Amino acid sequence: MTGIDQLRNLRNLRGTCCEDVAMTNEVIASLTYELGSKPQLHVVETPSRLLCATASRIVPDVVVASWGFPLAASPWHGAREPLPQTPLMASSRQVHDKPVRSWSPSTGTISQDLIVSLVKLAARAFYDDVTTKGDNQPKTGRSDNRGMAVVVLDALTRRQWVREEDLAKDLKLHSKQLRRTLRYFEEEKLVTRDHRKETAKGARIFSAAVAATGDGQSSGKDGEEKLKLHTHSYCCLDYAQIYDVVRYRLHRMRKKLKDELENRNTVQEYVCPNCNRRYTAFDALQLISPDDESFRCESCRAELVAESDKRAAEEMGDNDDNARRRRREKLKDMLQKMEVQLKPLSDLLNRVKDLPVPEFGSLQAWEARANAAGRAANGDSSANDSSRSSQGQGYGGTPMPFLGETKSRVSEFSCGVILPSSIMLQKLPLCSAIMIGGFNVEVALSGVPVKEEDSKPDVSATTMKVLPPWMIKQGMNLTMEQRGEVKQELRPESSSPANQLDDKKSKVNDKDDEKSIQASEKKHLCDEYLKAYYAALLQRQQDQEEAAKRNQQELDNISSEMPRQVGMKSKREDDDRDDGVEWEEAPTGSLGLSLVSPTGCFPKEVDSLVIVA
Amino acid sequence: MFFHIVLERNMQLHPRHFGPHLRDKLVAKLMKDVEGTCSGRHGFVVAITGVDNIGKGLIRDGTGFVTFPVKYQCVVFRPFKGEILEAVVTMVNKMGFFAEAGPVQIFVSNHLIPDDMEFQAGDVPNYTTSDGSVKIQKESEVRLKIIGTRVDATEIFCIGTIKDDFLGVINDPGASS
Repeated sequence: MTGIDQLRNLRNLRGTCCEDVAMTNEVIASLTYELGSKPQLHVVETPSRLLCATASRIVPDVVVASWGFPLAASPWHGAREPLPQTPLMASSRQVHDKPVRSWSPSTGTISQDLIVSLVKLAARAFYDDVTTKGDNQPKTGRSDNRGMAVVVLDALTRRQWVREEDLAKDLKLHSKQLRRTLRYFEEEKLVTRDHRKETAKGARIFSAAVAATGDGQSSGKDGEEKLKLHTHSYCCLDYAQIYDVVRYRLHRMRKKLKDELENRNTVQEYVCPNCNRRYTAFDALQLISPDDESFRCESCRAELVAESDKRAAEEMGDNDDNARRRRREKLKDMLQKMEVQLKPLSDLLNRVKDLPVPEFGSLQAWEARANAAGRAANGDSSANDSSRSSQGQGYGGTPMPFLGETKSRVSEFSCGVILPSSIMLQKLPLCSAIMIGGFNVEVALSGVPVKEEDSKPDVSATTMKVLPPWMIKQGMNLTMEQRGEVKQELRPESSSPANQLDDKKSKVNDKDDEKSIQASEKKHLCDEYLKAYYAALLQRQQDQEEAAKRNQQELDNISSEMPRQVGMKSKREDDDRDDGVEWEEAPTGSLGLSLVSPTGCFPKEVDSLVIVA
Repeated sequence: MFFHIVLERNMQLHPRHFGPHLRDKLVAKLMKDVEGTCSGRHGFVVAITGVDNIGKGLIRDGTGFVTFPVKYQCVVFRPFKGEILEAVVTMVNKMGFFAEAGPVQIFVSNHLIPDDMEFQAGDVPNYTTSDGSVKIQKESEVRLKIIGTRVDATEIFCIGTIKDDFLGVINDPGASS
């Protein structure tokens, strides 16, 4: 069954059960579909709904319950290569990674898994009782910081490059203490560090990079520039080197014990079987007999025999046979214990041997890459963000009430999101919950809509899609939050009249629009599923423009309608929307209301509207 | 290891050399006497690089020989324990093999040869790995580590090993020819 078939089935299925589902506010399902690769499904649900159950059966990849923690991962998921990242994979990764804001074993490949457990094992094996204390300080119970090294290393496995202050904050450690530990690790060649002087802006670039790897949230504000330079230190695990270091360490341990055990660097002794006269290898030159090049006793000319067990350790004055034997026993014991106890580690080393090791490169390179990847993962929106904010015409530039033209773009693999109730939304730490759907929502201001569209490099070749009203609302809200300007009061007054106006004129062709949009969407999606998106890029762009217009009208219609109508529409759309997602309205919602959430409980942390494919 | 040091020596010169080339004769004799010798203290004298000072001669009663105290600079070679040397194999037997690094003789006993190398008796006795890729025979060049030295007054003898990382054959004439 091809991915498209699966998707179609899913859609049909959903058609049958969507009524049911639409009744609940608490279902958020995002189905993501990746072009030309394995289908993936992320279902997030609170009460277990029929839809989710079915969907996961049809497209069995990852069922995510409760905000992005994978319940079960299919082999696909495990075997997925981390690079090259398609936008979708990045976005799905963001979902999982969100809690830890980084790559993590749960999202990584097997090799990442292994190397991370290698680090953890090594940390526990070798750095468990490391104390980074100055020698002059007396070791008291309180200041005993053994075990900290392990904690730090573990924390680093969940991060890539991290600013040391941030790490200290996360670990609730004093930054000096952390720095001491990190310096120790740097000496141990486990960690690479980078120090640089930077302004507040530079720090933000890093934050953006972190966000790109973590939760895809991009903070694009370049507003205030502090020119004060601070030295910031960054650190990152050097996995390739760690592998070498651990291997070398094991090798040295083994070699030292074995050398001592075998008395390798000792002088061979020879004994004459006849007269028991003893010689050492130092006498070799005199012992050689001229005729057959063998060693002969100087007195009786008998051929000498090498004495295998005799050690020249006697030379060192260690003449006590018992002591020597005891020492040998101890060494042998030690070697054996070492082999047993470090077996997991050496096994792991062997397994990691041929696997690619995650490589983050230098701080600068990583930052650039992470930002780029984040941009790619976000579709083109974050790129737009930066460009826009630099142009000073971002959607947050002028805090707009809800009357701008809304262009919603749903990328080809994204499917949709069921709107959670605003209460649900509250639980989201950041707005990336919406991102799981792989959406790219752009809210263009009424002032500059076309311009923005044109200026956009259509990198991710997203298709035009009708976006459910709640998205728009949320977007607006978010934007404003992002800008830190509280314009919510404006919304009710300004939005309603405008919407009503729009409503009047667009109501007439509402139906037709609806149908045509659906048809065109269907077609597009199919196209995209079948081809690489670049092929259809041009056409799609045109369509987007059209659809955008329609979309706006429609949206305006809907927004001014009563909740009943909204619900109807969402159902209608559900029936043939290709992405296989339900759109659901908060029951009480006029658009403005449901998101602004009368209780004022909209998440404060949400600061980015960039909702991405 | 090589050192450039200043040594002193009392040279006895036959009275027949007394004349205009006395000094040249003295230096030539010094070179002939000293170069190539071995002292336990300084090692092998490789070459005299210069004569610093020739003191006043003292005529011996009865013989007529004159003793000159001579200070000279020279390069000496002294092997140390733990030193890595490159040496040429001179003899192979079932006890091990002998090699020469310049003037110094080194013996590598068979338990200091890697375990995978076996002694092959025959026309050209040698040590060979089981796959035959590495062969130690006469004239082979090996890199070895000195693990012991025996220093007599006039002789230095070393014991080496090739049973360590990066030691062993560095150029095998048998393989190339």
